[in-house]
Amino acid sequence: MHVAGDAVLGENKKERLDSMKRNKPLALVAGAALLTLAACGGGSSDDDGSNDAGAEKTFGGQEGGSKDPERQGPAEEIADATAGGTITVYLPGDPGPDSLDPTGGWSVTGNSIQQALTSRSLTQYVRDEEGQPVLVPDLATDLGTPNEDYTEWTFTIREDATWEDGQPVTAEEVAFGICRSLDSEAFPSGPGTEYSKAFFAGAEDYEGPYTGKDPKCEAWDGIAVDGQDITISMAVPFPDMDYWGAFMAMGPAPLGNASKPPNYGNQPLANGPYKVESYKPNEELVLVKNDQWSADSDPGRHQYADEFVFKFNQDQAKVDEIMLSDNSDSQTAVSTALGSDKYTDANGQLGERLVQQTSQCVSTLTPDYTKITEIEVRKALAYAYPYEDVWIASGEVPGVTRVPANGVMPPGMAGKVDFQVDGEQITYDPEKSKELLAEAGYGDEPYEITMVVYEVDPLAVAAQDQITKGFEAGGFSVKVIPVQESPYNIWLDPDNKVNKTLNLRGVNWCSDWPAGSTMLPPLLKGGAVYNTAGFDEASVNDEMDRINTLPLDEQADAWGALDEKIMTEYFPIIPTAFRNDLFVFGTKIGNPTGDGSIGAPNYKDLFVIQ
Amino acid sequence: MSADTAGPETLGSLSDEPQQQDPNSQQAKEIAGKSPMRIALGRLAKDKIAVVCALVVLFFIICAVFAGPICALFGVDLVTPLASERVDGLNKGLPKPEMGPPNGPFTWDHPMGVAPRTGEDNLAYWLYGCRVSLLIATTATIFASIVGVVIGLLAGFLGGTVDKVLSFFIDMFLTIPFLLAALTMAPIINDRFNTADNYSTIQKVALVIVLSIFGWMGTARLIRGEVITLREREFVQAARVMGMPTSRILFKELLPNLAAPIIISVSLMLPTFVALEAGLAFLGIGVTDGISWGQTILKATNLTFFREYPQYLWQPLLGIVALVLSLNLLGDAVRDALDPKTRR
Repeated sequence: MHVAGDAVLGENKKERLDSMKRNKPLALVAGAALLTLAACGGGSSDDDGSNDAGAEKTFGGQEGGSKDPERQGPAEEIADATAGGTITVYLPGDPGPDSLDPTGGWSVTGNSIQQALTSRSLTQYVRDEEGQPVLVPDLATDLGTPNEDYTEWTFTIREDATWEDGQPVTAEEVAFGICRSLDSEAFPSGPGTEYSKAFFAGAEDYEGPYTGKDPKCEAWDGIAVDGQDITISMAVPFPDMDYWGAFMAMGPAPLGNASKPPNYGNQPLANGPYKVESYKPNEELVLVKNDQWSADSDPGRHQYADEFVFKFNQDQAKVDEIMLSDNSDSQTAVSTALGSDKYTDANGQLGERLVQQTSQCVSTLTPDYTKITEIEVRKALAYAYPYEDVWIASGEVPGVTRVPANGVMPPGMAGKVDFQVDGEQITYDPEKSKELLAEAGYGDEPYEITMVVYEVDPLAVAAQDQITKGFEAGGFSVKVIPVQESPYNIWLDPDNKVNKTLNLRGVNWCSDWPAGSTMLPPLLKGGAVYNTAGFDEASVNDEMDRINTLPLDEQADAWGALDEKIMTEYFPIIPTAFRNDLFVFGTKIGNPTGDGSIGAPNYKDLFVIQ
Repeated sequence: MSADTAGPETLGSLSDEPQQQDPNSQQAKEIAGKSPMRIALGRLAKDKIAVVCALVVLFFIICAVFAGPICALFGVDLVTPLASERVDGLNKGLPKPEMGPPNGPFTWDHPMGVAPRTGEDNLAYWLYGCRVSLLIATTATIFASIVGVVIGLLAGFLGGTVDKVLSFFIDMFLTIPFLLAALTMAPIINDRFNTADNYSTIQKVALVIVLSIFGWMGTARLIRGEVITLREREFVQAARVMGMPTSRILFKELLPNLAAPIIISVSLMLPTFVALEAGLAFLGIGVTDGISWGQTILKATNLTFFREYPQYLWQPLLGIVALVLSLNLLGDAVRDALDPKTRR
């Protein structure tokens, strides 16, 4: 899933950059613009001493999360919560979603807002006392019942959920909503293109209700509605269906023309505690209380504030000033980012109102597996990468917004193994890099590395200078090709002439749900779109397929073990950092916390202290 | 002996002419020997503002030409250090105390401090930024003036169809919005040349070309107007009658009489290009390798840096302001000095 806006995009030309990124329909960290964003993750115990100051702050981290199929509405009250008030959310450098259509939403920003406030789906996450996400039922009465081999899932839709117009949410409408996710032409950047299409039976041949001119979704037989029960048949075993059910794309849509895209995306019918009052794309989204929503029907959401105002595309420096000033505007405001230059001030001044949330993201460098064939050279690159210097130059706070990474799976993900490829955390060590190069037989002259830099952003250029410096000290020679479009456009285009010359690329990736299946296969399976390393080992591909068929409770550990195995045996990808987000809450915002399932403020549980 | 009929008693207070002197006196000989250029220089030398501005411009030229030796003198260079050696990532990316202001005392190791976040030496980047700025502005000025003068001469002197066609081109180029064109050119140049080894040189050459292409029209118009008035003058008519070739009339008869407008347009073009270079670099087009005042300003326009480390922004800003202002004032002074109608 992609996140918009990255601190590295910097203060300067955010708007210009964002307008370039906005059209990217990718499941990807959009901040992606920069290879250098590498970031790593944390929480693990391997702080390298120099990062002490960062350690003072506790992470809103993850332990992988749990499930509670029994949870029923109403959601537990938040201690001391009061009703009323307006919460203003500033989203610096973040253009927000292009459309509010639940089926098309696949961004951290849009999904975090809509799933928490307006658009319900089969399942949802709540935050437990320790800050861990718990998967609980939403429109379904439980987390679904799979058959033995996970090829058929049955969800029972609750009867008391209603739309904002008072009509009940029916099983037919949920089935229709799910059917919409198969229309990859109407929703080209929707998550259904990745999951519904891949897992649901008959999905490959079905073009969807709009493209296939099948407005009632009769031509697809992968879903069956029987009273309140919905049964989805799978083409291949899909044990993560309950997680996929937490995407708003797995929620209801009004039948017929009422939900026809693209118009429906401007004013979708809400069924959560809030409804859309006004929506100006890239500017502002105003949500007001939905009086038809009943707390009894919802195990996870609250309806404390009267109104939510989301302001997109804000200027980071301006928002930082507002939030730090503690004036009447900022007391009831939330900011989804903090400029790294303000971190020291904010950390001292805001205390627990500055929330550091581990986002389940990893930044990586991807050496081309077909060109850099020796594992020693790939490891040499890892030792020659000046981690801390790159973070500083790109405007990150070492040990806070970026922490060292050891593998592809982010910290806290279920099954994550706390291994180290070489016994200890790989850090910048040019001498070791030279040794490794010599071992591989390249000791005599520099090993040539070709990579791109996004030259429009001075922070990216500065970070690249650090990388070049480190690599050259480590025995490489670096040819940097400056580009003026998102590096992803280059890395993902096999016919691009620049791409063909590269032997080092990068990817920043965030998980779609806390499972290795949303991290390892997209990055490391042969032929995967974001596998920019071109890593393709038959044994690894087979193992990935095999893990998908394992019983659910064995999968997490299997993914963890595979992560360790791939990194130890092949080291095809250099994880440079795990990423953390910083959220700032005003003094009158109650329960300032982050949502560990998606890397956003915990909108569900916020209230205004009266 | 008889008295003059119109002696100093009657005319002296009404006339601006120098007092009548004995043509054989020492003083008179000096005046008579002065060429128009020397008169102009003499006027300039007496103009205090002009002298100060000329010294400032000279200072910048020295900085630009001798950027390397000056850097060596201070022991600084353009080499990017490892960021963590010089800046504190946990303290807003500001320089460490031993690197000088804002957190430490002045140090001769880095007389102008180091940049936040990267730790690059400010003095070195300032000096080389000055060189890039002046190099691009001067080259672009030379090209734009040559094109402008030639086209203005041809259009003004030949008239008729040639004038119409050339004037059409002048008007056409004036209608193209400069900034838009520059913004469009940047990605094209990047796409075409980004794999080349000398990309940053190509980038600068492209910038010079863009600046020249959009900078010559003013000069051309000015020269064309001047030529139109000059070509009807007797000395040009005489030259024609004598059968001089057009090129000789243009370059030997007309051009020397155009020295003043040319010098003026050059002196005003130069500061414009300095400012444009910085402005484009600030926008991320033009020079993108970081060695440019505009790029430094781009990095320094950050509220925190400005509050805690204002010198970082002031250094390049003062460079641009001082250079552009002195070039402009000097240009004005030169204009005044060259104008025979000016009286001081």
